[in-house]
This record gives sequence, structure tokens and C-alpha cells, in this order.
Amino acid sequence: MAEPSVRRRFVPTLLPAGLLVLALILPGRMFSRDQSADVVGLGPAAWPGAMLLALAVLSAIWVARDLWALRRPGSEPLLAPVREEEPYAMGKALAGLVMIVVYGWLLSVIGFALASALFIAGWCVFGGVRNPLVLVPVTLIGTVALLWLFMGLALMPLPRGQGVFDGFSIWLLQLTGIY
Amino acid sequence: MGAFELLGGGFAAAFQLWPFLTIVTGLLVGVVAGALPGISFVNAMAMALPFTYVMSPTQSMLFLGGIYVGGVFGGSISAIMINVPGTPASLPATWDGYAMTKRGEVKRALAIAVTASATGGLVSALMLAFLSAPFASFALKFSQPEFFAATVLGLASVIAIAKDRPLVTLVSLVLGIVVGTVGVDPLYGQARFSFGVPEMESGIRFVVVMIGLFAIGEVVDLLATDRNLRPKTEGGKQIGAKLADILGVKGAILRGTGIGCLIGMIPGAGATPGAVIAYGVEKQVSRRGAEFGTGVEAGLAAPEAAKNATTGAAMVPLLTLGIPGSAATAIMLAAMMLHGVNPGPLLFIMDPTMVYTIFAAMIIANVLMIGAGIGVAQLFSTLMRTPPAILAAFIIVLSVIGAYGVRNNIFDVWVCLAFGVLGWGMKRIGFPSAPLVLGVILGPLAERYFLTSLANSQQDWTVFVTRPISATILALAGVFVLWSLWPGLAGRLLRRRTRAT
Repeated sequence: MAEPSVRRRFVPTLLPAGLLVLALILPGRMFSRDQSADVVGLGPAAWPGAMLLALAVLSAIWVARDLWALRRPGSEPLLAPVREEEPYAMGKALAGLVMIVVYGWLLSVIGFALASALFIAGWCVFGGVRNPLVLVPVTLIGTVALLWLFMGLALMPLPRGQGVFDGFSIWLLQLTGIY
Repeated sequence: MGAFELLGGGFAAAFQLWPFLTIVTGLLVGVVAGALPGISFVNAMAMALPFTYVMSPTQSMLFLGGIYVGGVFGGSISAIMINVPGTPASLPATWDGYAMTKRGEVKRALAIAVTASATGGLVSALMLAFLSAPFASFALKFSQPEFFAATVLGLASVIAIAKDRPLVTLVSLVLGIVVGTVGVDPLYGQARFSFGVPEMESGIRFVVVMIGLFAIGEVVDLLATDRNLRPKTEGGKQIGAKLADILGVKGAILRGTGIGCLIGMIPGAGATPGAVIAYGVEKQVSRRGAEFGTGVEAGLAAPEAAKNATTGAAMVPLLTLGIPGSAATAIMLAAMMLHGVNPGPLLFIMDPTMVYTIFAAMIIANVLMIGAGIGVAQLFSTLMRTPPAILAAFIIVLSVIGAYGVRNNIFDVWVCLAFGVLGWGMKRIGFPSAPLVLGVILGPLAERYFLTSLANSQQDWTVFVTRPISATILALAGVFVLWSLWPGLAGRLLRRRTRAT
């Protein structure tokens, strides 16, 4: 019975162990082009090299401390999953993260206006706002207001999308008087 | 003419209709820009620069000064309300300010923040008016080793954030510094950790990291919980700050103001180290230091006072020596030069009216900020009544725009989203994200000052300890680390001794 408990307690130690490995690997991956040999002074690798060394040392201490804690009854690893103050819907959170990442990807494909409208509507429905009398105005007015503020006033060149979506974005911007 | 007479003339000029309206407009633009995550007040100042072509030199400085003062405070509105700092200096406001919001005390938190900010800003503006000359000669003694030492002090103060896990905090901080090294290095022009991706060569911007780590994790948590950020009410009214609340944090405000004034004068240091150091010092000084991070008023007031105290102080080297200490003051310098005004000691002799009108405007802006801050905060507070799903959707869209707007590049959006996912994961396992962000902000500064110090001194490593000011600041950093770690070490020793007996 004790074995799974030890295994579960070992899981948080994977983070410093991973950081230790990263800190040992990264110095060799610092430059993707050949460096000139006659660098005056410490060179461009000195500061990141020193920081990676510090990261390696600190992570090693962390791993050692956690392994020591595993062997001592009553001692806990430094990191442990946080106890949520309120019920936490993990599935909903993961779905939300996926929606955000998909929104980021869609921005360059279908353009800011369409991607944002879809995202706002989707997120609201997922979050429990399903009344069309709220959902439609929030999505449409919100998107147009954002377009006006950032593309109209601040002159920010937000993505318009590719192909047919670029044409649609231009049409929408002309319709709203921004272009 | 004495300083009082000149300042009186400055007030008379600033209270004319157009100059006064210019200050108010600048202040409102700054507060709103600061409050929007990613659309920092520095961006707003840069966007406002072309508008100053049509203004007189004095009016342009009043406009930009208003944005500066309002923007430094504005960042705390979103930090307190939705846990997303509008500016890097508002990061400490998330630690205790947002905890107060979660308790339903958003109005009280905002009132404390705006009072502390206005007090800090007002004192530093008065200092600017009366003590510019001696402070400028002190600031002139600072060079690259001193800038490096001041940045190290800022990094050291991060240890104070560590509750009882300094090792985890240090790992997070160093990880942030490593992230800050991505891209072309400041001295040799070599790209590091770019892995052949051209966009990586221009580095990872701290604003993008900050938005990702804070905004996305928070919004996903809003979705996954039934958290209610609506302000709680007592007898039909929102819980606001009473005079006793403000008087209860007067010590924190004064200490924060003092720290902000000192740090602000150091060119290159700026509001972020000032706010973080003030938080760290307050945590050690306060009787409720152990409770910091759970919604302690002093933990909110001290960094708020400090960050706005840096505004007037940062103007000292700008006006007296012509040295801009931050991006904001660099834009102000650009505006002055566009109008053919050269800041420096001669400006005080050639055009004292202009100089003292700027001083008066800084004082007026800080007083008006209480009204502007409360007004804008009231507006944002109304937004908190909207259903969390709608609020969250717009926070994400604004965050994405903020990340994109840094360089008008979709790559930054992806970096922001990657850090968002990372930040959410870090929250779940209790790995602190604030030290990481501070590492990304202060790490590149530390590297630049470190390498240029060595380059200027023929690679002499002793330059940091042989210069008195640099050595003193580094010693202070050492003392600060020990001071922060001492309660934990003492407690551990006591426990061990008790166990032995």
C-alpha cells in the first residue's frame, strides 16, 4: 500500500528534475549559427551560461531535498497540487484552454474579426450565457467596438486572415467605416 | 526668484483653461491605457507623441506628464480587479489587491491603491519641485555598475515574495532570467536560443509573458469555478475604504513613497523595481508580514505608493541632466527635443516658467488622479457586474490584442498563449509565476548593465565593489536577502532545538 503513495509523492519532483535536464542540455543549444572566435570580454554565452548553471544547481538541490523528504515520514516535497478553495471543473478548464489556443491559431487564418466573434460567442455559450438576446448583441457590438478601438483609432494592423477571409475582413472594415 | 514664487507662477500657468484640460485629458488617457492589459501607458505616450506637434512645448509636456502619472496608477486597476497587471509595476498589486477583490472588497482595495498612489506621486512631485538640484547631482554619480547593483537589489527583493519556499522562488526567478536571455544579446549582437526561428531572434517580450501567465490562467479559473468577482455590499452599499483604513496604512504609504523616490531617481531602475522592493521591505517591517499575499492592506499600499513616487523622481534626471531614466521619460525627452527644448541645467535658467509649470502640472495631476482613478475604477467596477463568461471572453480578446500589439506580430500571440497554458499549469501545482515574470523583466537589464560595466572597466570584476554606491547597494541586497530569509531560518532552528529538548 505504501508504494503507490511514494510514487505519487515523487511526481512533483519531476518538475525540478526536468528543469535540471533542461539546464544541462540548453548550453549546447544556445547558438544556431557558428560564433566568431575572437570575442572580446566574456562573450554572449556568459550570462545565459551562468544563469543555466544557477538553474542546474538550484534544481539539483531541489531534487535532492525532495528525495530526502520522501524518505522521512512527515516531510513533504516542496511542490504539491494546490487545494482549490472552491470546486474546480478540470474538464471545463482544459476545454477552455483548447478554445483559447484554437482562437490564437484561427486569428491568422480567418482574421481577427471573425475569429474574435466566434470566440466570444463560443466562450459565452460554454460559460453558460445562452440567451440569444444577450449573446448576439454582446458578440456583434463587442467585435465591432474592438475593431473600431484598435484598427480604427489605434491604427493597429490586426490580422485580416487568408484568402477569402482577407476579402471578407476588408469588406467588413469598409462596411464599418474603418477603411 | 525663489522656488515658491516660481512654483506659484507654474500653478497660475497650469490652471489656465487649455493647460488644465490638457492635464485632465492626459490623465484619463493614461489611466485607461494603463488599465487595459498589454496596452501600456508607454504605448499610449508613444501614440500621443505625434499629437504634441500641434501643441506648445509646455502643453506637450503637460499632456505626456498626465498620461505618465495616470498610466502608472492605471495598471493597478486591472491588477486588483481581474488579477491581470496592466503594467509590470502593477504586479505587486495582484498579490494583495486581487485577494481583497476575491473577498468582495474591490472598492476598498481600489480606494487604498489610488490614495497610496496619489500620495506617493504627490510627494515625489513636491520633491521634484524643491529638491531637483541636489538629487540630480546625486543621480549623476550613478553609472553602469550602480545600475547593475540597483537591478540586483530588485532581483534580491523577489526573495521577500517567497512565503516559506525560497528555493522554489529562486528557481522561478532564474528560469525567468533564462527566458529573458532569448534573442540577440545586448553587447555582441549574437542571437541566443533562437533554434533557427527568425522571430525568436528579437527575443521574448516581458509584456507577452506577463499577459500569458496572468490573464489566461485567471480566465480559465473563472470558467472552471463559480467564482464571483462582484463587489460585496453592506447595507446596499459596496464595501469601501474608511478613513481609518487609509490611516492604518499611512506607515506603509510613507515607506513606499521614500523607496519609490530613491529608486525612481536611478536612471534605468524605474517603477517595477521600486514597487517590488517596497513590497519586500513592507513584508519584513509589517507585523502582518506573514499574512502578505492574502489581502493585507499594507501589502497593497506600499508598492502602490512606491510606483507612483517614481514618476516625479524619474523626472529629476530628465529635467536637470537631460538623462531619461525610463521609456516614458525617453518619450518626454523626445517631445522636448521635437520642440527644440534641450533639458539640462540651462533649462532652469533659460525657461524657468516652463520647468515650474511642469512641476505644478505633476502636482495637479497627482491630486486629480484621485478623482480620475476613482471614476475609471467605478466604470471598471460596473464591468465586474457582467456575467463572468462575458467578462472572461473579452479579457482573452484584449490580452491577445495586447500581445499582438507589442510588435504587431502573430508570433507574440503564440508565445503569449504558450505561457498562458504554462501559467495555468504552474497555478495548479503551486509553482510561483510572479518571480518568473520579474526575472524576464529585470534579467535583461541586469545582463546589459553587467556586461557594459565590465566592458567599460576593461573586464575588471572588482568594479562592482570598489565603487562606493555600487558596493553599498550590493551590500543592501545581501542584507535584504538575509533579512527576508531570517524568520524562516530562525523558525527552523527553534523547531530543531525544541525537538532536541
